[in-house]
Amino acid sequence: MWPRFRRGARVLEVRDVTKRYDGRAVVNRVSFEVRPGEVFALLGPNGAGKTTLIRMITDILRPDSGTIHLDGQPIDQAKRTIAYLPEERGLYRRSRVIDVLSYYGRLKGMSTRNALEASFGLLKRVELAEWSAKQVQALSKGMQQKLQLCTTLIGSPRLLILDEPFTGLDPLNVQLFEEILHERRASGTTVLLSTHQMSKVEEVCDRALMVNRGHMVLYGPVQEIRRHYADHAVLVRTERVPQGVPGVRAVERFNHEWKLTLEPAASPESVLRSLLERGVGIESFALATLPLEDIFVKVVREGLGLDHGVSGPPTVDELPVVGAAAR
Amino acid sequence: MKLDWNLVSAVARREFLTTVRRKAFLFMLIGTPAYFAFVMSISAGTEARERTEALKELSVLGVVDSSGLFGHAAPEIRTEVQEMPTLGRAPRLPAPAESFRTTVRPYPDQLSAEAALRSGTISQVLVIPKDYLETGHVRRYARKSNMFSGADRRAVAGWLARNLVADRVGDQLAVRVARPTDQDILYVLDRNGRFELKDDRREMADFMLPFAFSMLLGMSIMIGGQYLLQGVAEEKESRILESLLCTVSAEELMAGKLLGLGTVGLSVVGVWVLAGSVAAGSAVGMLGVSVPAAWIAIALAYFVLGYLFFGSIMTGIGAVTNNMREGQQFAVWFTFANFAPLIMITRILGHPSSSLAVGLSLFPPTAATSMMLRIAAPSSAVPAWQIALSLALLAGAAFLALVASARVFRVALLMYGKTPNLPEILRWARQV
Repeated sequence: MWPRFRRGARVLEVRDVTKRYDGRAVVNRVSFEVRPGEVFALLGPNGAGKTTLIRMITDILRPDSGTIHLDGQPIDQAKRTIAYLPEERGLYRRSRVIDVLSYYGRLKGMSTRNALEASFGLLKRVELAEWSAKQVQALSKGMQQKLQLCTTLIGSPRLLILDEPFTGLDPLNVQLFEEILHERRASGTTVLLSTHQMSKVEEVCDRALMVNRGHMVLYGPVQEIRRHYADHAVLVRTERVPQGVPGVRAVERFNHEWKLTLEPAASPESVLRSLLERGVGIESFALATLPLEDIFVKVVREGLGLDHGVSGPPTVDELPVVGAAAR
Repeated sequence: MKLDWNLVSAVARREFLTTVRRKAFLFMLIGTPAYFAFVMSISAGTEARERTEALKELSVLGVVDSSGLFGHAAPEIRTEVQEMPTLGRAPRLPAPAESFRTTVRPYPDQLSAEAALRSGTISQVLVIPKDYLETGHVRRYARKSNMFSGADRRAVAGWLARNLVADRVGDQLAVRVARPTDQDILYVLDRNGRFELKDDRREMADFMLPFAFSMLLGMSIMIGGQYLLQGVAEEKESRILESLLCTVSAEELMAGKLLGLGTVGLSVVGVWVLAGSVAAGSAVGMLGVSVPAAWIAIALAYFVLGYLFFGSIMTGIGAVTNNMREGQQFAVWFTFANFAPLIMITRILGHPSSSLAVGLSLFPPTAATSMMLRIAAPSSAVPAWQIALSLALLAGAAFLALVASARVFRVALLMYGKTPNLPEILRWARQV
């Protein structure tokens, strides 16, 4: 089990940040915070403003308005403790593997010797030690991705920003990347993960922010988000469901389970109690939550106003922020 | 603009080391001077060979004399050719001469002479018409014409001059009429007000010194500039910059590159100068050529400012273009501006105080190479105020280029696809 973050503390604080290009807001009054040791997901469709937001967090771009703080310091003074693995990433192809990695270490403020030692350690961890003296162009694509991850990890950054880190990796390397993220998280590193792989978000992220057309459309703990968007229904794994259970409006077979749609006034707890009172043997009982991917599609469509003719995405005040911890 | 110099030095160190470790760099370091030396030796050798070849081929001259002025002319032409001057020999030692002999064979008419020429019995036919004395017209017929040497024409002209007067004056006077300046020694006032011997070798040194000085300065500026363009274009093309810019600012990255690759340019020229000094040092010493310390100081100032000016522009070009090929298309104009004064070298060396030379040495893109040509030109005395003004203008231009390029660099580094147009670039350059 991954450690829980300390409530109230924050590593990254983004407040009311706006960025315009040619008069058009690509990021519009976005506010959120990332807490120590958590894995935070930044979600949104293509062109939503995620990359611009990340570039402002990494101080590559300056916001037109709003503030960004890292550990309480303005971002331009604290950026050395951030490491960023962009979606479109490259390496010095004609340089040696060890030279590339130690160069990134030097840029993180390490001495040449420490950078070399740390580089060898990382290469060993990702099983590239024997390639250290080779040119980068001699590495396979997967190996280059591992080296790119190493360039991000060197210098033990406080905040890791990973943009689609799993793209193009084989299952073994995905597992390796996840293990390394576990290790880093255990040692106190905070991770901001931008990905379209919703299953990964469900698996590894504590909280998430979804942006669309530069606006925030969803923000909160991942499990809370899923509960918030769940149908008013429960999934029960059992042999049979008797007729006439109080509070149950409809019963349908759903894979190997039964999906019980509840009356508006009924609660899952009262339905569970009624089932047990009727002697139903229950193997499992859970809220019928939607996969995050379905929530993503639903929220984006609604946010865009495609389904309901809404003129535009909601403002910050209209956001469906879920869970008390999100505020 | 606040820079972290540890980061700047880390970038500079990487740029320097990765550049000098490349095989292409070693090839350029050794290959460029070797190529120049090879081409120059081939060129000098060819020129000397063409001269002697022209005289060797003129073994028999058929003469059709209708004027009657050369009935008793000498039946032979002797031509002495001195070896081409080289920097490898002391200036006051006479160069060894090579002697060529041409037999003069009279023909009664042009037809028989032409037949002999066609059969290969003779090398050329000289037809002297009746009215030669009044008009000076002669005609020569040859099997082929030498494009690069007029040595045969000069030999024939000397024979004509000598034999025109040989019957009237003594032989010695006739020879002198034919070759009035066998030994022409010129003394020219030098910068210190003394008369300095100007022989062929000295003249060659007078040309070569400013040319080499200016060329080396221009090359040191451009080598660094080209590497800058290449480095930025490569990083942009291979999408490295975004992860770098998370840690190091665009200004620090640019400063590190300028520093590291400027050192590469200076090192290359340093190695060339050192190797050249070792190879030709004794010869240059014998010529009495010395490079004043002030020239070195001025050249260094021009290098720093010229490199900052061109390097900043090259960095900006690398940032706004999408790949190396596109970058080169823009960069070629600035490279041309830097070397343009060398195209006008004879004009600048001949008239170092002309308005053209002064204008070029004040105009920032051509200032470095033009001013070094003017300073090193023989008998030149560039006023100190012109050097100061030229450096000040170049410093101002370098500062503007640096600030504008840093702004363009920051905005353009992460833009891919369409190359921005000039108004867009100017708008970025004005952004704070």
